[in-house]
Amino acid sequence: MTAKKAKANPRAVKGFRAKLAAAMMLVISGITALGLYLAQRNVTNNANHALEQDFQAELSSLDRLQELRHAALAERCRALALKPRIHAALEDNALDLLYPSAKDELRDLMEGQERPLEQAAGTLHAKFYRFLDGVGAVLAPPNAKDVGSLSAAAEAQLAFKKLPDKQQVGYIWSNDPASDTVNEVTAVPIFSTETGEVISALVVGFKPFEPGSKNPSAGMQSGIWVSGRLHLPASSDGAKSMVAGKLMKLLTNADRARDSSTLRINGAPHLLFFKLLNPGSLFPPAYEVFVYPLATWAAQLHRLRLQIGGAGALLLLGAFVASHFAAARLSRPVEQLEIESEHDRAERQRAEAALASTTDELERSARYSADASHQLKSPVTVLRAGLETLMGREDFAPEVYEELSGLLHQTHRLTGVIDDLLLLSRMDAGHLRIASDPVNLSQLLEEWLDDLEALPDAPDVNIEKKIATDLSVAGEKQYTSLIIQNLLENARKYNRPGGRIRILAREENKQVVLSIGNTGRPIDRAEQRHIFERFRSIGNGLVSGHGIGLNLARDLARLHGGDLRLVVSENDWTEFEARFRFMESGTNRAT
Amino acid sequence: MRLRRLFWCGVILAPFPAFAEAIAEGVVQLPESRSGPVIAKRYEIVSKGETLSTQPPLAVVYLDGSFTKPASAPKRQVAQKDLEFLPPLLPVQVGTRVEFPNLDDTYHSIFSYSPAKRFDLGRYRPEERPIPSEVFDAPGLVTLRCDIHEHMRGLILVLNTPHFVITAPDGRFRLRGLPSGHYTLKAWIDSRTTREKPVDLKSGQTVHVDFP
Repeated sequence: MTAKKAKANPRAVKGFRAKLAAAMMLVISGITALGLYLAQRNVTNNANHALEQDFQAELSSLDRLQELRHAALAERCRALALKPRIHAALEDNALDLLYPSAKDELRDLMEGQERPLEQAAGTLHAKFYRFLDGVGAVLAPPNAKDVGSLSAAAEAQLAFKKLPDKQQVGYIWSNDPASDTVNEVTAVPIFSTETGEVISALVVGFKPFEPGSKNPSAGMQSGIWVSGRLHLPASSDGAKSMVAGKLMKLLTNADRARDSSTLRINGAPHLLFFKLLNPGSLFPPAYEVFVYPLATWAAQLHRLRLQIGGAGALLLLGAFVASHFAAARLSRPVEQLEIESEHDRAERQRAEAALASTTDELERSARYSADASHQLKSPVTVLRAGLETLMGREDFAPEVYEELSGLLHQTHRLTGVIDDLLLLSRMDAGHLRIASDPVNLSQLLEEWLDDLEALPDAPDVNIEKKIATDLSVAGEKQYTSLIIQNLLENARKYNRPGGRIRILAREENKQVVLSIGNTGRPIDRAEQRHIFERFRSIGNGLVSGHGIGLNLARDLARLHGGDLRLVVSENDWTEFEARFRFMESGTNRAT
Repeated sequence: MRLRRLFWCGVILAPFPAFAEAIAEGVVQLPESRSGPVIAKRYEIVSKGETLSTQPPLAVVYLDGSFTKPASAPKRQVAQKDLEFLPPLLPVQVGTRVEFPNLDDTYHSIFSYSPAKRFDLGRYRPEERPIPSEVFDAPGLVTLRCDIHEHMRGLILVLNTPHFVITAPDGRFRLRGLPSGHYTLKAWIDSRTTREKPVDLKSGQTVHVDFP
């Protein structure tokens, strides 16, 4: 693998692997971030939920206290209404006697110790009380000490425009410059025992219930928002104004009975809850306000973030390693591909180089053949001329003439071979162009057959011929003739004594088909495939050729736009078939 | 004793009745009774809104004017019997001492916050002696209450005049022994309603006045 990798393009593979690893890291980072986000949201939700529950619990104790107080006060007022002196004071126009008459009845209201929540309702420890007259105005007490002192401004907040027929809960500012606090007041109507009409109301003021004592370490602060002002005793002025501003904004935008929000006080996150304390009351709406510092929750969140972050980092590390291996593994096929393509490229380059060198060699050999043929031609011509001169002398013995005649014949053969080689080299070099003129094949065949019979060593063969008259082919007569000569000479050369030669020529589908068959020993089956190769003579053992004739003939036939093939060679019969393009005689060129 | 005195008075005054006094009589139109015809002859004080009246309705007809107070304070009684004031409505002349005898077997604690007379007798038993009493020296309506029995209610109408009478349940009244002269005759119907009519009284004559 590593050896192969070295062969492949290492930079490309590394790049791919790095990209794969980066993508995987990206996915894992995304998942970690998502996990972090979800965990954070979960923690925040949990915090909100837990604090809201806390808030609920405090509110429910507040509700419970109020319920007990209201029940006790209602009972007290029912009892009061039954008192003849109260009646007398109210009905007999003796309001000045109302407070003295009620003093004894309500004495315990103003006395006693402040008790914890569980017992507070029973004792009804009030800070003050006031009676309202029949039209809802506050009856001034003769002695404020007995009924709890109250500033005039605070007292004015107790009045109604009309006496309420139901208990009303409200929160009023004491408007005391020394310590401005909020008091919880409950207005209880007093009904006439005779007519059932509301004749008066008792308004009792309490110190407001201050929750949060159960859980002081949490740093929770509670207060009351009423008449656009916030009473938050345990808080600094700055924090108070921040909470007040937030509340003002929240309550101005929407008249909400309850809600929660978050705000930052001196940079620390806080959770703010508020709930309408006196829905439907004739007193101004008042809200119980809780402010929780989220510091502990923030710390927890921070810790959790660290944990998740650490886990994420570990995960990233693991993922890095894993993705490294995974990338390596996943990129293996790609590397393989890379290697193979590299291999293929090398092969191709080699093949191209080989082709180029082969072409060069071929050109070189063709050039060499041409050069060699030219170089050979001159000495042969000189040789032949010399021999002919010697033949012309008459002073030699007859045996010498015979010898000279043989030598002269050999020089003729040598010239033929050189001509063939020259032609071949021209063809190999691609220099040979054959014209496309009409050549009368029938006539050409007849001429060659005449020549064949006229040869001195004419064989003892029977020649059959069936040649359509005036068959014209497209080609150049010199080369067409060469093909025919080649085939006919072969048919004669490889024939057996007493054999025959058959020549058929006909037109077929715009082609001229010439088949020349001869008797004689057939070509070995193994040799048949190679007979058109250069320098392979048919070699039937009896006659030898120089091995370029058939090669030359086929190449020429192909240059004519036709072909040459061996049709059959078995059972004392060998037949070749040459095809040419048919051309009407008289037309100059076939396209 | 009392009967004998009345007898002698009658004998002495018998020859001059027509000359010595004027008489006013008539009918006061009383509000509709809520409880139908009275059978048990029990009256009670009710307050409706802030209005006190007797139930069934009764009216007090009196001759308004300034008259000399009697030399010795007249004495009247408002008893508590069966957890009720008896009579429930008592008109008196200014300066009258009213005793409040307890005829029940329980404590009573009679008081009044009325501007005309504020008093508080405190808790007392039936055999409390002397009988708790108060002098009513300012005119006006006084509401009597019992601090123990919150339903108990009584009215004392303190008047400047000695000439007053409670109408019969049908509203009829007859006021005798009136001085001659130009006066205003008033009919108190409830704590908020007092009707009045001018009258010319002449000795020996009977004036008929109706309060519609």
